[in-house]
Amino acid sequence: MLETDRNQLHKCVEEALPELDMMIGWTRCDPLQTTPVFIRDAKSISSLTLGPFCSQNLAGYLVKPPALDAPPKPDAKPIGICVKGCDSRSLVALIQEKFITRQRVRIFGIPCGGTVDWRKVARHVELGSVKSADVQDRVLVIEDSTTTHRIALEEVLSRKCLGCRHPNPVISDVLIGAEVSPRSTGMETSYRDVDELDAKPLEERLAFWQSELDRCIRCYACRNACPLCVCQDRCIVETREPRWLTQHVGVPEKFLFHFIHAMHLAGRCTGCGECERVCPMDIPVTLIKEKLNKIMEEMLGYSAGLDPEAVPPLLTFNPGETEI
Amino acid sequence: MNNNPYLPELATVQEVITETGNIRTLRLTLDNKESMEKFTFRPGQVGQLSVFGTGESTFVINSPPTRRDYLQFSVMKAGEVTSRIHQLNAGDQVGLRAPLGNGFGFEEMKGHDILFVGGGIGMAPLRTLLLYMIDNRADYGDITVIYGARSPKDMCYTYEFEEWRAGGVNLVLTVDAEFPGWKERVGFVPTVLNEEAPSPNNRIAVVCGPPIMIKFVLFNLKELGYEDPQIITTLEKRMKCGIGICGRCNAGSKYVCLDGPVFSYDQIRAMGGEL
Amino acid sequence: MAVKIFIAADRLDSVLEKLSTKIDLWIPALLKDDKSGPTGFVQYTPGITPAFDRQTTMPLKKLLLPQEETLLRFKYQKDPEGSLKTTIALDDPKEARPTLVFGARSCDVRALVTLDRVFANGPYVDPYYVQRRKNTLFATLVCGQTDSKCFCSSVGGGPADMEGSHLRIVRLEDGYLVEALSKDAQPLLADLAEAPDKSRDQLAAKLVKEASKRQVGDLDTKDCAPAFRNRFQQNDYWASMVSQCLSCGVCTYVCPTCYCFSITDETRNLEGERLRSWDSCMFYHYTLEASGHNPRPTKLERYRNRVGHKFSYIPERYEGLLGCCGCGRCIRSCPVNIDIRQVVGNLKENSNEQ
Ligand code: SF4
Ligand code: SF4
Ligand code: SF4
Ligand code: SF4
Ligand code: FES
Repeated sequence: MLETDRNQLHKCVEEALPELDMMIGWTRCDPLQTTPVFIRDAKSISSLTLGPFCSQNLAGYLVKPPALDAPPKPDAKPIGICVKGCDSRSLVALIQEKFITRQRVRIFGIPCGGTVDWRKVARHVELGSVKSADVQDRVLVIEDSTTTHRIALEEVLSRKCLGCRHPNPVISDVLIGAEVSPRSTGMETSYRDVDELDAKPLEERLAFWQSELDRCIRCYACRNACPLCVCQDRCIVETREPRWLTQHVGVPEKFLFHFIHAMHLAGRCTGCGECERVCPMDIPVTLIKEKLNKIMEEMLGYSAGLDPEAVPPLLTFNPGETEI
Repeated sequence: MNNNPYLPELATVQEVITETGNIRTLRLTLDNKESMEKFTFRPGQVGQLSVFGTGESTFVINSPPTRRDYLQFSVMKAGEVTSRIHQLNAGDQVGLRAPLGNGFGFEEMKGHDILFVGGGIGMAPLRTLLLYMIDNRADYGDITVIYGARSPKDMCYTYEFEEWRAGGVNLVLTVDAEFPGWKERVGFVPTVLNEEAPSPNNRIAVVCGPPIMIKFVLFNLKELGYEDPQIITTLEKRMKCGIGICGRCNAGSKYVCLDGPVFSYDQIRAMGGEL
Repeated sequence: MAVKIFIAADRLDSVLEKLSTKIDLWIPALLKDDKSGPTGFVQYTPGITPAFDRQTTMPLKKLLLPQEETLLRFKYQKDPEGSLKTTIALDDPKEARPTLVFGARSCDVRALVTLDRVFANGPYVDPYYVQRRKNTLFATLVCGQTDSKCFCSSVGGGPADMEGSHLRIVRLEDGYLVEALSKDAQPLLADLAEAPDKSRDQLAAKLVKEASKRQVGDLDTKDCAPAFRNRFQQNDYWASMVSQCLSCGVCTYVCPTCYCFSITDETRNLEGERLRSWDSCMFYHYTLEASGHNPRPTKLERYRNRVGHKFSYIPERYEGLLGCCGCGRCIRSCPVNIDIRQVVGNLKENSNEQ
């Protein structure tokens, strides 16, 4: 099945490439991992892959180098991009906020059965010894030098995938493969982790974040990987004038950073989970944003990245408003 | 310096001179008398000046080692630290880690004719060497200085020009455009350089100024027949440790803080870019 | 005095506990209650289980170069006459406590060869680093857990490399054979456990021998400097290698040989401190000058600098020394799976094409 989808992807990209500036997709670089590729040359199309190991959200590359050219040249050709369900929402959010126009992108939508979290795989096998990995009928089959391991895909899916409501791209030009049915359809299931944490007493929640953030090394990978953290090199945690944050590495400083990060994403975060995926210290930082997303949904009935025409609530801010 | 290279010595601002709209000159003495008396350095070496609470920044000590009443720094307001430095008054205390870096090869320059080409604040690092040469005038041949600024108001050290001339310096001053009362040259530095055309024979050119000026001056010097090793300049980089450890200031395998700030053009070419 | 001891697996805990009464003891351990979660070096307290069976996520450099440390403190004191007068109190390098790192790997300790050269043997000596370095001993595992990202043998080390180590630990089926390699480490072993019997001793010797023959990684790191210089200006090369980079800095934070730091002043009212903290050359702000000029404005120049620093600049400055210990951490932790072995390996391939 994966094979057929991959062939379809190659064929579609081959047809489209002459009209494209470049094609952004994934390529396999390790049995369990992929790396983003930027294809301009038909020869490289065969390296494109899709499927459960394609964890990276590629939408961010549209607003950060190498795709970024601001302001875009008027005659610029569209950029082709592969998106999973969640990635497509990031793309919509970027369109909503006018960081990119709909015309500028050629979207290769990929209905998604969930992505594999290598950390969870490591609970079952020693990663260093993995020789090959494949998914068959929702079972992850891993070969190492001695054994074949079979792990139910459910057990190794990324946390964000378990509550996913939009596995099918919400926007696309071409759909690769067949649509899948969402595993979650409502708030009860998609905010399960937030609800679970919220149910705990305050001290426990505090202790939880204390111990999680204690590990944070302030590398800012969570920020850099976020497709919607568009300030990038102008981010307030690093600006020198004025200097908002100290260089101390205590939990209070990290708390502040993470809450600034989350607040800047309120009503914008689509829950793609990149911040959490890239964290070298395995800190569930997306949870903070999920909480805000939940509030947005409850209070304003709004979810980011679904409708390219919708204006995100915090962008409706009117300086003349008297009630603030 | 003491044996902790990160620890500045306390120094007191003796005098602040407003050079231009955004350049100020500070004259400092080390608070510890003995340190001040023993302080030695080479022209072109730098100091890390601290305003405690804001941070450190690197400047060439632009007074010459031959004049020891104070250590002089000229500071153009650009960022956080330099803005704070501009608020300092006589009597204020600062920190100083100095001398650091390599300095000019003034020994090898002995017996040569010298050409200084400076633009704007770029005159500061040249000043230390120029005054050193004036104080050892017999060791050097012709000394020509071409110094340019946007307007007379943007020129530093104007109060010293007479002294330089009296010290046997052929001082050519230029501003970018006509200005009421201006009696010296008008035109960009590279153009004036071509008009002056100092012969490259047995001469060393020391160039310092904004990157765009350097680019054209370099081109013209080559046209005039100067070879890369004959052309000397100083580099600037964002620095932190200032002592060749943190690695921040590298240009290729050279650390500007330790191996510089003075480099010849053949050395710079070998760094491969990233300036 | 004991030169070799055997610690039975079930006695490890009590031995470590005893050891921790003699010296500050640091061991590799889980940083999160999840056996596949991140690991790092932590100070031993009874009950912590060592994580010897995989390389730690975070290197041990924080023991010698903490993520944040105070270089000096200052205080502005008001003069009676009203002008601001400064007095500075200096926080001199603190007396570092004697420390033992038990269960580092060859690559971890090898990384210190690079750090030592920079911090302790340059024209200026970093007193904060040196103080801690002098007081830290390393008990190093003969490494049996090579994974596909390791390449220690390619950079002059190897799984049994003991350069810089004071004790060697060999893992046996039923325990650990620990041997003092230097005189100052011998007292640590006194009264901890019995000497090994002959068969265990021989077995350990055999394992050491085997491990030292193992070639981990096939990256050719010879003469990278000229190849790097050839590639320097080839933007296409760097674009083809690292366009996917996020400039996130993870690779530098997890790297045991990366040591970029920043120095900032932090004040509250009239007093404050000068802080040294980890920084990363992968960040835009790292080289941003006050004028707004940035010599390394994009991730391509920045990644190029990382490779250059490790494989060209450090070797040029320090007699061929490499700035990489081959631990593979940057490869394992990179969120977009950039592999430094590929970037370095390809420097030489057809580098004159284009
Ligand atoms: S990626 Fe993780 S460790 Fe890095 S700053 Fe974010 S939360 Fe902290
Ligand atoms: S970890 Fe990877 S993505 Fe992040 S800065 Fe390093 S190379 Fe770039
Ligand atoms: S560059 Fe990578 S492999 Fe080399 S020492 Fe650093 S983290 Fe380890
Ligand atoms: S790099 Fe070498 S010493 Fe380090 S973990 Fe891998 S095999 Fe062991
Ligand atoms: S400023 Fe630290 S090495 Fe030059």
